[in-house]
Amino acid sequence: MANILLVDDSSTMRKIISRSLRQAGLPVDEIYEAADGIEGLNVIASGKSIQLILSDINMPNMDGLEFVKAVRANGNKTPIVMITTEAGGEIIAEAMSSGASDSIKKPFTPDQLQEKLGGML
Amino acid sequence: MSLNADIAKSVKITEETLAGYVIDATREVFTTMVMMQPKDEFPLREPVSRFRCSITGMVGFAGTYHGVISIHCPVVLALKVTSNMLGVECEEVNDDLNDAIGEIANMLGGSVKQVLSKGGMDVKLSIPTVISGEDYTVNSLSDSDCVIIPFIVEEQKFLVGLTLKKGK
Repeated sequence: MANILLVDDSSTMRKIISRSLRQAGLPVDEIYEAADGIEGLNVIASGKSIQLILSDINMPNMDGLEFVKAVRANGNKTPIVMITTEAGGEIIAEAMSSGASDSIKKPFTPDQLQEKLGGML
Repeated sequence: MSLNADIAKSVKITEETLAGYVIDATREVFTTMVMMQPKDEFPLREPVSRFRCSITGMVGFAGTYHGVISIHCPVVLALKVTSNMLGVECEEVNDDLNDAIGEIANMLGGSVKQVLSKGGMDVKLSIPTVISGEDYTVNSLSDSDCVIIPFIVEEQKFLVGLTLKKGK
């Protein structure tokens, strides 16, 4: 069972993703939530065991691209999957070159989550 | 209400085609995330700027194109939408309702951005803004730059609007 950090400024989207992860039958234990990159970094810094990070890109305070760079700058190698409306090639390419592992476009179905995340958990 | 000819020309698609993208995006968001199947009633016969007992979610574009995509829906429908998205009953205008409608606007903005910007870096999306009230008016900078699509779902009407201008 894996613990997941979910970083998204929309509380609705965090609830939908949490529900979809369980509906998809993925082996999920704890889901920690953060509303932006800064909160996400604070959760990581708290020392919680996290096996996968799911992050939005377009967020206030610290966006998903800055968040990925900050996580990697700290030497953290936890897989990070961007879940975002930002499906443009250049933005996803920047996220990947900054250390993201994959991306999922919103809106998504539980099947799409299962397909993308199944091999990571 | 129609999209400015210069905008349609610059994105190399017709107003009807752009409206088609907005319709497809709206259907995809509602089908996938809201478990509802809205039907479009494009074109809009009369301009609408005044809303009663409604909620409006908006996301701005900036860069090569700037403008706003917005969704306007009656609170009664927004409560159903939010309940479906969250999987729990939402019975009043609250943070959950605002967040859900804002997130729908955000997903619609992302879909339209894909049409306007293949790479993604030349057009930026804003954080969603949501307003609601018993009686309010929403005006774009220029009505001639708008395409507005009426939808109907569960016997309730809602609107999705797109205002665009070419950036300098």
